[in-house]
Amino acid sequence: MSTKHLSPEFLNERRKQAVQLRLDGFTIAVVSQQTGLSAPTVSAAWKAFREGGWAAVPVKPRGRLKGQANVLSADIQALLWQALFQQPVQVPDQVPSQWAEEEKPRLIEPGWSSAGLADWLAIQHGVALSQRAVEHWWEAQGLKHEPWKLSALATQRSQQGRWFRTAVAPHFNKLKEADQRWQGGVRHVAHPTKSLFQIYLHGPRGRLLMRCFESPPDAQAYLSVFAALNAYGVKALVFHGALLTASPDITDWLAQQASFFLVPVPANLALSA
Amino acid sequence: MTSLTHLQRLEAESIQIMREVVAEAENPVMLYSVGKDSAVMLHLARKAFAPGPPPFPLLHVDTRWKFRAMYEFRDKMAEEIGMDLLVHINPEGVEKDINPFTHGSAIHTDVMKTEGLKQALDKYGFDAAFGGARRDEEKSRAKERVFSFRSAQHRWDPKNQRPELWKLYNTRKNPKESIRVFPISNWTELDIWQYIHLQNIPIVPLYYSAERPVVERDGALIMVDDERMPLESGEVPMMRKVRFRTLGCYPLTGAVESDADTLPAIIQEMLLTKTSERQGRVIDHDSAASMEKKKQEGYF
Repeated sequence: MSTKHLSPEFLNERRKQAVQLRLDGFTIAVVSQQTGLSAPTVSAAWKAFREGGWAAVPVKPRGRLKGQANVLSADIQALLWQALFQQPVQVPDQVPSQWAEEEKPRLIEPGWSSAGLADWLAIQHGVALSQRAVEHWWEAQGLKHEPWKLSALATQRSQQGRWFRTAVAPHFNKLKEADQRWQGGVRHVAHPTKSLFQIYLHGPRGRLLMRCFESPPDAQAYLSVFAALNAYGVKALVFHGALLTASPDITDWLAQQASFFLVPVPANLALSA
Repeated sequence: MTSLTHLQRLEAESIQIMREVVAEAENPVMLYSVGKDSAVMLHLARKAFAPGPPPFPLLHVDTRWKFRAMYEFRDKMAEEIGMDLLVHINPEGVEKDINPFTHGSAIHTDVMKTEGLKQALDKYGFDAAFGGARRDEEKSRAKERVFSFRSAQHRWDPKNQRPELWKLYNTRKNPKESIRVFPISNWTELDIWQYIHLQNIPIVPLYYSAERPVVERDGALIMVDDERMPLESGEVPMMRKVRFRTLGCYPLTGAVESDADTLPAIIQEMLLTKTSERQGRVIDHDSAASMEKKKQEGYF
């Protein structure tokens, strides 16, 4: 059967069927006979599957992908990476007003915000970059992490809902201020050129802060983040991605904190953003 | 008449090999390492001798360092299938507390696996042992025959192997010699996964991707399976979505980052991969041609 006049949808369906039959162990000749596709088409679909999985089997739409254009120069990107791998610097407008003047210099940012990065670029290097441009760059680099909708779990009848009600809600319900309840975690970011690990934090209204590392963060890195959050008045942190109980340094530190609670997210508890 | 698929042909070949061994050997045994190849081999054995159980026991040469999930799965399977399960741990290794951390992978493998296996074969007097090795795993396994003869000291001579033309197997052996038989030698990793999928064979959950606590050691992701795993100063295990392509002792088995949590997803990932599943095994890389040397000394 000639496939020349088949609609793309129909052809794609047949190509998927052909791949499934090949996966079931049928030869190209048998698959060709059963699907009505020519042997070269069956081979092509099979090859596409082997090289790119199911997503590669259908005939692809043409055109450039959204966001493919690179808007930041290599120099600016290098500066942004340099900052993200460093300890974050203090940004004056983020310091809580209740802190006395003499205490402000001792505050350390828990992570880089997009505003903090934009300010750092402007002050240190004279580069004007909007907060939004930083966030677009984060997205392009795979650094953007969406906050989980934890409050929605309160009434959910699911494993996640039960976990929230038993582990998180008792801490969250005691805290009146939204900026006392944070969430975050650590993850490995698949990056084409860098070995990249990220500690991400979401403050009030989902504001994203982050720190990046070339190797998995050590206990000191976690402790500096937690201590910074504690200093900023954060009382509860829901944290995902590390087996913190394996570190005596961290467990000792947490045990000493009377007003800072860390709630670990259990492994394989899929939280949705 | 419809022709057999390649999996049906492989299945038929494996069943023929198993029946040949049972017909020729006096005291056969099936080595059961709890991995996916063992699962397939066990499934084939049950098919080969259905409706009765396979006429040989299972032997697990334990090192005490397998993943906890493997022990749970092993005990569950033994209970389900009703076959005798023999578990042998090298008592000398236990006495000396041989482990991969303080003694290194080479000594641990030699004492707990190679010597343990030889001890078990001698102890029970087995003259034929089925193993789930495959040619595509590693180069020394590629050249090993399906019927691999071992001396009375369990040594393998790779330069003195019998031809297996037209799949005719010469099973004659001298007293005290033994045979290691590899019924799935001609299967590839992809064949194994396709067969597991089509036959719905139960496997250890570690093969499926899930969040697990891991640390990096020499570029390999090693799962922190219990408190015996020594962590470096300040090291914190990260929860990463990983799975295992091969299973062995947990401190010597590297995981791969993966989202494949179903069999079709694993098969798709398999098709894309360019590396052998045993790249994650530390013991395969502890010295040049290390697998061949181990095999000559009696390693499975």
